[in-house]
Amino acid sequence: MLKKEQNDLVTQTGPGTPMGDLFRSYWLPILLSEELPENDCPPVRVKVLSERMIAFRDSEGKLGLIDEFCAHRGVSLWFGRNEECGLRCPYHGWKFDTTGQCVDVPSEPAESGYANKVKLKAYPLIEKGGVLWTYMGPAETTPPEPEWEFATVPLNQSFTSKRLQDNNWLQAMEGGIDSSHVSFLHRGDLNNDPLFKGAAGNKYNLADSKPVFEVVEAPGGLYIGARRNAEEGKFYWRITPWVMPCFTMVPPRGDHPIHGHFWVPIDDETCTAWSFDYHPTRPLSDNERQAMKDGKGIHVRYVPGTYRPLANKDNDYLIDREAQKAGRTYSGVEGIGMQDASLQESMGPICDRTKENLVGTDNGIIMARHRLMRAAKALHEKGVLPPGRTVEDMKVRSAAVILPPDQPYKDAAKEALIAKVGVKQTSV
Amino acid sequence: MLLSESARVTTAQEARFRIQTPNSKPRAVKVIALDSEAARLVDDISKKPWNGAAFFKSLSFEQSGDDNVKAWLNDLAGHTSDLVGEVANADCVVVIAGAGEDAASVSVIAELCNHYHKTLIALVVPQGSYEQDTVDRSLKALRPHAKMLVIAHERDYIEAMLTALRA
Ligand code: FES
Ligand SMILES: [Fe+2]
Repeated sequence: MLKKEQNDLVTQTGPGTPMGDLFRSYWLPILLSEELPENDCPPVRVKVLSERMIAFRDSEGKLGLIDEFCAHRGVSLWFGRNEECGLRCPYHGWKFDTTGQCVDVPSEPAESGYANKVKLKAYPLIEKGGVLWTYMGPAETTPPEPEWEFATVPLNQSFTSKRLQDNNWLQAMEGGIDSSHVSFLHRGDLNNDPLFKGAAGNKYNLADSKPVFEVVEAPGGLYIGARRNAEEGKFYWRITPWVMPCFTMVPPRGDHPIHGHFWVPIDDETCTAWSFDYHPTRPLSDNERQAMKDGKGIHVRYVPGTYRPLANKDNDYLIDREAQKAGRTYSGVEGIGMQDASLQESMGPICDRTKENLVGTDNGIIMARHRLMRAAKALHEKGVLPPGRTVEDMKVRSAAVILPPDQPYKDAAKEALIAKVGVKQTSV
Repeated sequence: MLLSESARVTTAQEARFRIQTPNSKPRAVKVIALDSEAARLVDDISKKPWNGAAFFKSLSFEQSGDDNVKAWLNDLAGHTSDLVGEVANADCVVVIAGAGEDAASVSVIAELCNHYHKTLIALVVPQGSYEQDTVDRSLKALRPHAKMLVIAHERDYIEAMLTALRA
């Protein structure tokens, strides 16, 4: 349970809010490279942290992320002409470069220098791992560029997708660190999904639906270990790292690619759920890549031409009660990604946490909220930069291991939780 | 397209029609400090308003009869109560260990939790300057028994967790 003021604090990320400032302390994924495929391609509208912007790639390949609306009379620059190193408003021809600087006001003599007086708000936009990232905080405190392993492996080893989700970011993120739902909501998929099935570890998941948890603080966030019984008194551990504010990785299964998520607020009632899959040491196979494109694993199928899931609330997520009854799916919704999204959206645009009844096994969620609130307040009130901004924080991995009963996973799996170039994931 | 039920009911507007009747009854959370460091934390926290959570600062044992050892919980006001009775009437038991001090008494509590089918949550809260291997010792004592084991360096986490659990 959270008090109303606490719930407001953690869910509101617009400009000037404490949690908004917190989010503005990190590089956030906002677009796929494919959305700005080439120089002078059409500009794209993006809303992040309740700010509306336009992204474009100019004639020289420079990336721009600027205020969506023209400084002259407020037209959306989405209608703009992306040409000759700038975005030109189609209304009266004002032109802006990737830094937001107005470079041409056709009605005024160029010599007057009037254009110099006009500049739109702009944020840096960089490309890494097939993803475009922005940092919306003060320039003086820019953190190191993204070093998440999925974004640094060769592109043929990774697949990243995003989907729109119609609810506040936090309830989506909380789903990612809520390891106890897997044995219920996703149980039908462990043995069927091409990106999950066949792993030796699956049988422990299915046989033991009452895992025991161990939550350990990490410098940048948390490790959430879920322990299930394995053979000979040993334990099967699934370890999920969470890095502030919104990054998690799912523990691996067999030699399947490893995956994880980012949840980035669009505004307070919608977010982008990012899903990435990669293998640290080998290219993804054609079958794997095709399965991901087909919406298997944590990915989804789309309404053509959009990033909106094909199964969405307008069609009741294509719920199939037969499949639910027969146990092919636990909730009747197909696909792991949509199983999560459908339930999270059903909580409402902003989950009312004053009414929930948490139990001991929800400590991962309780701790994550606690750390978020604490960090947001420290930043807002005292200017203390939040955890999770260093390269080491980003070099994390999830792991699945079998350990003797007396070994703490944090130590026994220490190496397994660090991303290392050329080293395979630790998995069962 | 016909608007589906899911689309209609997930709007902010529809959230206004959620039933506001409270959905939870007071629960009996027993918070037990396992060592003197933890007792100090528990002492502080117990002064805040809670929904019936009971706080105990220590556990003591007494030889009663031939083989029987009776365990007593000592609360902050200096009263003692029977551990068996407290666990039997609990909805959930939270034990708190400051790092490194003796967490062995947890096995007595854990056995009772097992017997009465109560969830045992263990919080290790290392305070001040501490040695990693003392933390490890506490963890080792707690690990076999707790359904949820949390290592929290911030003391205000205890409070945050108890609030979240409606203790
Ligand atoms: S059982 Fe967890 S939300 Fe309903
Ligand atoms: Fe899930």
